[in-house]
Amino acid sequence: MGKKLKKMAVVFAAALAAAISGGCGPSVPKLNVYMWSDYIDPDIVQKFEDENGCEVVISIFDSNESMYAKLKAGGTGYDVILPSSYMAKVMNDEKMIETLDLSKLPNVKNINSEYMKKLALDKTFKYSVPYMICYSCVAYDKGKCPNLPDTWGVFGDSKYRGRMTLLNDYRETIGAALKANGYSLNTRDDSELEKAKETLLKWKPNLARLDNEGYKSGVQSGEFVVVHGYSGDLYQVLEESKNLAVMIPKEGVSLSCDDWVIPADSKNKDLAYAFINYMCDPESAAANMEVTKYLSPVDGASKLMSDENAKSVVIPKAVYENGEMIIDLGEDNAKYLKIWDEIKISQ
Amino acid sequence: MGNTEKYRGKTGISEALLTAPSFFWLASFFVVPSVLIFAISFKISNSSGGIGDIWTLETWSGLLRTDYLAILWRTVWVSAAITAICLLLGIPVGYWIARQRPGVRYWYLLLVIVPLWTNFLIRIFAWKIVLHPDGFLRSALVYSGIISPDTFLLNNIGSVIAVSVYTYLPFAILPIYAAAEKFNFGLIEAAADLGASRFKAFASIFLPGIKRGILTAVLIVMIPSLGSYAVPDLVGGIDGEMLGNKIAQRVTANRNLPEASALAAMLTLIITLPIIFLIAGKGGKILLNARRAGGDK
Repeated sequence: MGKKLKKMAVVFAAALAAAISGGCGPSVPKLNVYMWSDYIDPDIVQKFEDENGCEVVISIFDSNESMYAKLKAGGTGYDVILPSSYMAKVMNDEKMIETLDLSKLPNVKNINSEYMKKLALDKTFKYSVPYMICYSCVAYDKGKCPNLPDTWGVFGDSKYRGRMTLLNDYRETIGAALKANGYSLNTRDDSELEKAKETLLKWKPNLARLDNEGYKSGVQSGEFVVVHGYSGDLYQVLEESKNLAVMIPKEGVSLSCDDWVIPADSKNKDLAYAFINYMCDPESAAANMEVTKYLSPVDGASKLMSDENAKSVVIPKAVYENGEMIIDLGEDNAKYLKIWDEIKISQ
Repeated sequence: MGNTEKYRGKTGISEALLTAPSFFWLASFFVVPSVLIFAISFKISNSSGGIGDIWTLETWSGLLRTDYLAILWRTVWVSAAITAICLLLGIPVGYWIARQRPGVRYWYLLLVIVPLWTNFLIRIFAWKIVLHPDGFLRSALVYSGIISPDTFLLNNIGSVIAVSVYTYLPFAILPIYAAAEKFNFGLIEAAADLGASRFKAFASIFLPGIKRGILTAVLIVMIPSLGSYAVPDLVGGIDGEMLGNKIAQRVTANRNLPEASALAAMLTLIITLPIIFLIAGKGGKILLNARRAGGDK
């Protein structure tokens, strides 16, 4: 028994030593990616690792603001970050990210030129490369909410009281209320914002909570019957739960795009460029769309997808027509925050 | 005489050495961060989420806003309710375990501690299943007419209190049990012999006897409840926001570090000031007792 134990100890010590030397060895470069959850095909990451002889470590954030706060508080060590466009712009204004060297990104030629002209905030790839386009919409339980009308007004319907969620994101949710009133979701007009506040106060008693992450499992388990969320996330949920459906409010929704950026203090810039370039390849873009159900602006990618998924990633025309990109409002963010605080505390 | 003085000097040095680690710990992980938070709370914020260079008092005067007072009030009453329920459940349990045979006691204590071996978040998610709108518990309550069909068990202040009580209850039972174990139950029998009812003996002999255990339980439950963040975030509904959640919102969504610091500093003051007074009062008493003891010699 004693001998066996000793043997085990030796093996354990050897394994530990191997793990330590392996972990510290300079042989395998590490690429630290900071992005949203369930937002990339793990096989594509694996392929990139194999082809480049590196290890990709993915860390997750659940809102642009918390990611930004972490970086501002001294968070370092990331090589590639995936903020939404408006936040990429803020990070560029704050000189937190690299001005891109396009000679290292030959694949950006694949990015849809129409998208760049019409929607992109960074139209020349100066500091960012678009990854996925998404829009906000609503998922609901077909059995419990038959004939749900396609309007933001459903959040005012007390039939579903205590079973609905809106995003815990002041721009998205105040934006939804602005759209419900027919205003721009980037408005700076006080009276329009006041109207949106009144709408939200009317919706509030019907809401179970404001939720950014739990709504996905919540609507699947039946805890919630109507949830406000992001298109790809909701289509991912739909794939698993056939009793759910997506509703796109006719008044218009928010459109957003998440863009790859390289933080100025990245220690692996060449590998970071290689990673971003790899993601702009139509084949990787197609694989990522299959998994995430978001729309990639890479030309030629949707042709490589299965028909069913190609249908769900496509953004309906009406979304483009009535939808709007969220823009950072600088000092006027305070107006939205004030309303947000008032809504949260009101009884 | 000389000997005692020498002895005293020695204890002085060893006392200092013994307290040095905890002193160092407190200084580097409590005093310094707290001072930094207080300092940041007097700075202005800039819209990019940084800390400005100018000093200001506006953030602190801004704390008197009605919405902050409402959140502060909710935080305090919810914490008080959690503490009260933990005591109501913890005192009988502690009493009961202490009255068991010594050999069996440890098994009951183990039962109190075992749930803590499971991760805190997993236990909260388990509660989400228990209180689920389509779950067994709510269906049974609705079916038997105890609650109306539009009452929900999850995502409200009630679920925050229930889950918090569940989380903190072991920490209330343990110090109460520790005090009850040392309590001389002969005193209760004596009280009964002298004609006190069972309740009277419990209230005026047992409870004062385990005063310290109760006080420790109050502190151990009340302090983390005042700083709650995860429980209201996960099972609290649209009206379940507490001060901890507001601080998190100010740090992340609002990018306003000075305001977050002011709120955090206010919370620190609310928690530490009463404890400092308590300790100061107790320290005075201990000193007084020591002097008396010295005089008796």
